[in-house]
Amino acid sequence: MSEFFHQYFDFTVMGDHFSEVLEGFFKNLLLFAVVVLLALLWGLILALIRQLPGKKFAPLRFLTIAYIDVLRAIPILIILLLISGGIPYLEFIPKSIRIPHWFGQPDPFWYSVLGLTMVYGAYMAEVYRAGIEAVPGGQFEAARSLGMSYGKAMRHVVVPQAVTKIPAPMLNEMISLLKDTTLASVVALGEAVLVSREILAESFNSSAVILAGAMFLVITLPAARLVDVLIKRNQAKVTRGAHIEVG
Amino acid sequence: MRKTRLAAIFAVLLLALASVAVAGCGGGDDTTSSGGGGGETSSESGGGEPLSVGSDIPYPPFEQGKPGNYTGFDIELMEAIAEKMGRKAEFQDTSFETIFRDVAQGKFEAVISAATITEEREQAVDFSNPYYLSEQAVLVKEGSDIKTLKDLDGKTVAAQQGTTGLELAKEELGGSEIRPYPEGPDAVNALKAGTVEGVIIDAPVAQNAVEKSGGVEIAEKVPTEETYGIAVAQGETELLEEINKALKEVEQEGTYKTIYEKWFHLEPPKEIESETHEAE
Repeated sequence: MSEFFHQYFDFTVMGDHFSEVLEGFFKNLLLFAVVVLLALLWGLILALIRQLPGKKFAPLRFLTIAYIDVLRAIPILIILLLISGGIPYLEFIPKSIRIPHWFGQPDPFWYSVLGLTMVYGAYMAEVYRAGIEAVPGGQFEAARSLGMSYGKAMRHVVVPQAVTKIPAPMLNEMISLLKDTTLASVVALGEAVLVSREILAESFNSSAVILAGAMFLVITLPAARLVDVLIKRNQAKVTRGAHIEVG
Repeated sequence: MRKTRLAAIFAVLLLALASVAVAGCGGGDDTTSSGGGGGETSSESGGGEPLSVGSDIPYPPFEQGKPGNYTGFDIELMEAIAEKMGRKAEFQDTSFETIFRDVAQGKFEAVISAATITEEREQAVDFSNPYYLSEQAVLVKEGSDIKTLKDLDGKTVAAQQGTTGLELAKEELGGSEIRPYPEGPDAVNALKAGTVEGVIIDAPVAQNAVEKSGGVEIAEKVPTEETYGIAVAQGETELLEEINKALKEVEQEGTYKTIYEKWFHLEPPKEIESETHEAE
């Protein structure tokens, strides 16, 4: 038992390597921040294309649904490996894009941004869809009967109502995303898990890994509580007679 | 009712599938418990208990192949050693960064995984006599300007997590961005893809990459006075002696030379035998 605590909860090891692991964790946060912005946008675009009406847009709808389904069905790890291993070979793309070193970040960072955005865009598109579908159909019809075009009705009436319905599920996706930024270790990005596993390889002690986990807890635990609060508030609204939000 | 039954059947099927998969991969899982007491009964008898061995696979040409059908220099040598001990080697694929902790905790009895004998590691495990002398290689793209290890300073360099190559890179290349990849082949792939300009990795692994994958070449070999050993948990003196004795026999009978030439396409260095005997 004491062996176990020594192996995983050696506070001296944690203290010695705190700044290294923290530096790695900042990489996770940075990756998260960039991906969250891009994925929120990309997910909305996907969700809107998916809702496009009429025969004319059927192929586009089909492609979008296929994209969302496939990206949600493949392990992110595989997507990251394919991107980081594959894109550098595409010689028709200029080298500065193929092997990007933008804003002082190395290429593994940008491959991770691309991979996570592709996947989380698909996840978030599903959340948006649930939100859009939860807006009562009468809202859209009323907007149209007032003479608004399809685009205007979506932009001014449906989407603004849809996004108020989805903070809780969206926040859940973000919690998952923050945790999934650790997958970037597989493309050798120096984030918290990679750094702490390096420390493990050098010291034969796993405490740095626990330390990395604790850093995630500091962010994700309050976030999980916040999700609960949002859901409760939502339920209160329902009991007051407002329409139902997506939970 | 019908629905729940269907669901139950589905769940059972899934479980069965999962257990088959686990049995297939794990292989030696049931032998892990023999870590402590297994040693005494096995000595010279033909049908001793299987010897559970941990190894980080793939690391060609030392260890490669699919579960249940592993092969490579380490694997064949270990099989020969186990045979001399009257036991049968059973391999478990495991991650290199935790491999010494795992053998120390008795997850398997021995480790053969192209593991360099270092003072650091000897604090966690005991090593056999050296069975291999190794060098690090600087692997670069074919036609690269980089000719020596020093040329890589300031460039982006890859190595494998937890290896001597990574340590060497950290020591010698202060101005470089060093990327530790989970597996050696990942690092070589990054080199071929052009995201890194050099890989520092064990010479035989580099040689194998040159032969099998192409497009890369060894710029320089860096002697490190590294020797590989088989690791066992500390205090397993009897097991260690058996391994050393078997290793010596395998070397004297010429089996070692056969295996070495098969995997490295080279004659084994003369020193390996003398070093083995000296160390005893």
